[in-house]
Amino acid sequence: MVVLASSIINKSGKALVSRQFVDMTRIRIEGLLAAFPKLVGSGKQHTYVETENVRYVYQPMESLYLILVTNKQSNILEDLETLRLLSKLIPEYCTSLEEESVCKNGFKLIFAFDEVICQGHKEAVSASQVKEYMEMDSQEERMHRMMMQTKINETKDLMKKKANEIDKSKLDKTRPDRSGIISVPISFDNGYDLPSTGRSNGTFVADESKSKGRPTTAAAGSSKKGMQLGKGQKTSRIIESLKAEGEDIVEDVQAAAVVGLTASVPTDPIAVLVEEKITVQCKRDGGLESFDIQGTLSLVVQNRDDAFIRVQVENGANDGVQFKPHPNIDKDLFARESILGLKDSRRPFPTGTPTGILKWRMTSKDESLIPLNINCWPSISGGETYVSIEYEASQRFELQNVKITIPLPALRDPPTVNQVDGEWRYDSRRSVLEWSVVLIDNSNRNGAMEFVVPAADASVFFPIDVKFTATKTFCDLKVVSVLQVDGGNSVRFAGSTQLLADSYQVV
Amino acid sequence: MEKSCSLLVHFDKSSPALANEIRESLESNDTPRKVEAMKKAVMLMLNGETIPQLFITIVRYVLPSEDHTIQKLLLLYLEIIDKTDAQGKILPEMILICQNLRNNLQHPNEYIRGVTLRFLSRLNEAELIEPLVHAIVTNLEHRHPFVRRNAILAVMAIYKLAQGDHLLPDAPELIEKILGKEQDLSAKRNAFLMLCNCAQDRAVSFLLTHAESVPGWGDLLQMVALELIRKVCRANPDGKGKFMKVILLLLQSHSTAVMYECSGTLVSLSSAPTAIRAAANCYCQLLLSQSDNNVKLIVLDRLQELKATHREIVVELIMDVLRALQSPNLDIRRKTLDIALDLITPRNIEEVVMTLKKEVVKTQNKELEKNAEYRQMLIQAIHSCAVKFPEVASTVVHLLMDFLGDTNLASALDVVCFVREIIETNPKLRESIITRLLDLFYQIPASRVCSCALWIIGEYCQSLPEIESAISAIKQCLGDLPFFTVAEDGEAADQSSASKAPAPTSKQTTSVGSKRPVVLADGTYASQTAAVEIALAVPVSLVAGTSTNLRTLLLTGDFFLGSVICGTLTKLVLRLEELQTSKVAVNKATADILLVMVSILRLGQSAVVAHPIDNDSVDRITQCIRVLTSPDEEARCIWLEKCRASFVKMITEKLRRDSEETRAKEQVARAQPDDLIDFYHLKSRKGMSQLELEDEVQTDLKRATGEFTKDSDDTKKLNRVLQLTGFSDPVYAEAYVTVHQYDIVLDVTVINRTKETLQNLCLELATMGDLKLVERPQNYTLAPDASKQIRANIKVSSTETGVIFGNIVYESTSALDRNVVVLNDIHIDIMDYISPASCPDVAFRNMWAEFEWENKVSISSSIEDVKQFLDHIVTSTNMKCLTPPSQLDGDCGFLAANLYAKSVFGEDALVNVSVEKMPDGKLSGFIRIRSKTQGIALSLGDKITLKQKA
Repeated sequence: MVVLASSIINKSGKALVSRQFVDMTRIRIEGLLAAFPKLVGSGKQHTYVETENVRYVYQPMESLYLILVTNKQSNILEDLETLRLLSKLIPEYCTSLEEESVCKNGFKLIFAFDEVICQGHKEAVSASQVKEYMEMDSQEERMHRMMMQTKINETKDLMKKKANEIDKSKLDKTRPDRSGIISVPISFDNGYDLPSTGRSNGTFVADESKSKGRPTTAAAGSSKKGMQLGKGQKTSRIIESLKAEGEDIVEDVQAAAVVGLTASVPTDPIAVLVEEKITVQCKRDGGLESFDIQGTLSLVVQNRDDAFIRVQVENGANDGVQFKPHPNIDKDLFARESILGLKDSRRPFPTGTPTGILKWRMTSKDESLIPLNINCWPSISGGETYVSIEYEASQRFELQNVKITIPLPALRDPPTVNQVDGEWRYDSRRSVLEWSVVLIDNSNRNGAMEFVVPAADASVFFPIDVKFTATKTFCDLKVVSVLQVDGGNSVRFAGSTQLLADSYQVV
Repeated sequence: MEKSCSLLVHFDKSSPALANEIRESLESNDTPRKVEAMKKAVMLMLNGETIPQLFITIVRYVLPSEDHTIQKLLLLYLEIIDKTDAQGKILPEMILICQNLRNNLQHPNEYIRGVTLRFLSRLNEAELIEPLVHAIVTNLEHRHPFVRRNAILAVMAIYKLAQGDHLLPDAPELIEKILGKEQDLSAKRNAFLMLCNCAQDRAVSFLLTHAESVPGWGDLLQMVALELIRKVCRANPDGKGKFMKVILLLLQSHSTAVMYECSGTLVSLSSAPTAIRAAANCYCQLLLSQSDNNVKLIVLDRLQELKATHREIVVELIMDVLRALQSPNLDIRRKTLDIALDLITPRNIEEVVMTLKKEVVKTQNKELEKNAEYRQMLIQAIHSCAVKFPEVASTVVHLLMDFLGDTNLASALDVVCFVREIIETNPKLRESIITRLLDLFYQIPASRVCSCALWIIGEYCQSLPEIESAISAIKQCLGDLPFFTVAEDGEAADQSSASKAPAPTSKQTTSVGSKRPVVLADGTYASQTAAVEIALAVPVSLVAGTSTNLRTLLLTGDFFLGSVICGTLTKLVLRLEELQTSKVAVNKATADILLVMVSILRLGQSAVVAHPIDNDSVDRITQCIRVLTSPDEEARCIWLEKCRASFVKMITEKLRRDSEETRAKEQVARAQPDDLIDFYHLKSRKGMSQLELEDEVQTDLKRATGEFTKDSDDTKKLNRVLQLTGFSDPVYAEAYVTVHQYDIVLDVTVINRTKETLQNLCLELATMGDLKLVERPQNYTLAPDASKQIRANIKVSSTETGVIFGNIVYESTSALDRNVVVLNDIHIDIMDYISPASCPDVAFRNMWAEFEWENKVSISSSIEDVKQFLDHIVTSTNMKCLTPPSQLDGDCGFLAANLYAKSVFGEDALVNVSVEKMPDGKLSGFIRIRSKTQGIALSLGDKITLKQKA
């Protein structure tokens, strides 16, 4: 299914507008289009022509033709749909369907063609969507512009203030410092650039959490099997008969593949996962911007037989932690006895997929809580910037796989690292320095690194991004046992606890 | 490899934009002005100008622009600009655009990001992409699906580059992860497509793990899944079992496009009857449920292909296929009938004929515009059914005979031909057919049908009662004799109205007479005779009161029919003589019939009819009279037996030819014993052979984009080298001409023969005829004794002999003026464009009547044998002789034949050769060429004139 080109030509075969979606030479496409009017018969009630090598699907538009050139294997049903969409779009961008008007609006039409077909394949778009894409009206861009404007205004004020100060200091000092005046616009430039990247990063984070929410529900939806019974029967009948005719059919493909993929899943019938994600934003000169912890307790039940269970948790002293059980969980039972069980005790837990049953959230302004403090000191000396950076980990956690990513200015050579605790790596493509420490425990609660790069502004080295994991969580929550609903016998289960740095930044 | 071209916009050359103006506009701050200038720049570049000086202006003044339209136009500009130098190295200044592209990729406007990513997916230069890779990858997780979609495509394009796995080694993993959580249909499709193209095993495992949910996927995604399955199974046919279930699930998809695709896949994967049946069923379902004619026709094409390979399965569905006849479209009906006719078997013939009969009856009931044509098609279909299975003839022949009285000449003619054939091949039906024919005879209005029916009556009335009733039926149709009375004649002359009436009639006859000559069925080139012309206006006074068909026709002056009537009656009487014992009855009948003949002759010579009887008919009727008045054994034998014998011979000949054709069709070998085996991976781009069809899709695509064309014979190549200048000219040039379908490529070698450096050497070409130069010529500098290859592309848009002429212009240091060397003309031969083709006789004659251009070439040749002359014309013009060889047999000193060919542009070329051997041994006659366009007629005529001499 490939559309080679979509074109508008006049009755004599002159190509007015044509967009090709695969590589082809000019002489070829012009030849194809010039040959077209000769191939179109009159009085035919169908609108396609086939030649030895290509198929034209067309639609006459007053004195012009709108043509899709496709290969002969192409799916006619889909091509017709594409053609219909295009013919709906053309009047939108051409005031009249005449040669002159089409030529005049040729580029608009090419842009529209691009929205409908990409690399020869049809896009899932409607006419109104194409219009929207063509308008290119972006809320985000407007916000961005407004922000820029305010930034510029602010900086202008700042500049004025600084200028006043300098004037003052000129009066004060006998020798005026000229470099001070020059440095103002420099910092202005940087202030200009930085927020834009910072901002876009922020939106990414928000999106991710949004889009992550969706797939689980989708997966749950598709696992309902009741709907397919009827079809399944018919298919299996056909399969049976195919087998009888000597076609070799592998029926249980899916199962085999799943086993291959899920081999790493624990063999215990029940697994309980406690996971916390930490989002921190620190200011570069100390101070906490935001600190947010989101935790989930999720349950994976392998067999339906084991699905009638309750989970007994031990809830320590947790100030400022808000728990939120799943709507199907009996809230009273949890409040009274710290037991997580379904409201309707006859219903089983879903099997096979991780199911979140409890969530909690915690925010704080207390700087002492954060597990890892990063301190970064760039200083310019001569033609070089020395950056010394150190971390300080809190006693509470043992952090694993710590990776601190420091953005660098565009460099020709890797930076010179004078001293480092742990390992470092320079990623030239992203232009960042990665400092990694495999484990931070009591032996190395503090660490430092120093490196040298050609002179650059201090703000280049921010935001510093940190990733780590830990096996202990902020919230003191432990799964004590898993009990059967009737009988109360305890069931074997595997538990795991994890703390993840979701977005941990020093800005 | 030539540069590929990604867009065309028509550019009006009459208002040339100057580079300076464009630059000024680009430098201005006025956005609309900038937009216009950008458009002009792009259009100029598309027309082959390379304006390199604009690049820096654009980098300086256009790159920073915030306007969206400008940014989009900029991307188009970057798309078509030459990014590499002659050696294929990237131009250093191109790096300048990278920063801008990166900014675009981080632009707050999602649409700017999207279109930039789309542009990147069309980019081939790894050096430009490398600095952007990281920005592209971040866009994979953008909030807006529009960005993600295009980002995935960009990743795919990058990974596909030669250095792709260095630029983005983890692309497949990345995309696989995205595929798992993506919600937007297009983005998901693109991701899956990427895996299909770049990491098939990942795509396969994704497909298999999600096999159960495939029916819930969007149609776009399902389509790619099918593509993947086809691709995988082609490479590894053993693994197809895994996919069968997926395919069968998809076969029940809601989207018709998927159903269609699925059936195609199923057919290509499996040849098990159930699979084929499922696919065929699906096609039938589409055929009935889709209202679009295009779809129906293409689905019918698919069924036709299926029929070729799996006939026995499609046979089961014949009734479903026939239901497509309900569509009012003639093309669909024709195709349906074509398919159905190949599928009839003894088992289903009854049903099929029943349906066809029902359809025939339907055409009688309601009057639709194309009804007549449709009826004709149906009659032909039934005819061929009856030929294949003679037993059904009895059930249909009577029904069909009702249509003898049809006002539509063509279908009535078909019916009568059908009856004629059946009555010969099916002796059991003779009696009933004759009775029926005699009953219906008076209803037949058309002259040609009448004459055919008369022939049947004359030949096949065998028994006494039959002959008697036949004679009386004919006589009844002729009405009372004589055909006119003197009184009537006088009356007609008296009446002023009557004398006026013939006036327009005669006018019409003269116009008929002056009508263009016509090619007869046997290929002879006849001036118009009464034989073919039917409906002439009739003097009112004569027709009034006559209601019988034969009389009406005779009175309108159709004397050819008159001679046929006479012939029939003669045969009947001769036969009567053999059977009738009573001499009296025989004599009475003979006398009656002689009277009829004489009356016809009289009528022909009277002034009542518009034009007098022609000599042929007079001769014929006189001959009949002579046979009846003085019978001899030899004449009797000729009349009664030889006629029939030659008809029988014709029928057997026809059957033999048909069966030979089918046998020849069946005998086409799948593969010759010594055929080459081609390995896909080892093959060169050029020279496709049969076996490469294995990889149909790929090949199909490649052929469609014109990536390779069939190679011609190498030995002939050298014949095409043309010397363009003399050896003593300062510049020697020769050209090698390659003719592809729509274009001519001239490879010109230019050699500097002087001891000086030639500057600004330019090959200027001009064309005559329907040829067009594609590119503007470029200037070269040629060192002493150096040579240079220059390539010129010329576009052809119709079949015509064209001439390319030109000159080489250069400057040398010694002379200040420009020097010019005029080149020899290059003639483009029409023979490269036409190829032999065949068409049915009727179509040939229709085209002959319709086409406007005729070129008449008189024959003057050294060849002395007519047959040999025809062969010479056929070989030298590369046409096909439509007249069957059996008709060209024998040595009678004259010959007429029709030749036909089709050009690559789909134009028809018709030729009629009418040649006669004169007493002095020379050949004389004419060759007439007709075509829709002047070009073919002229060029072919020139060609023939030229070749006659040789």
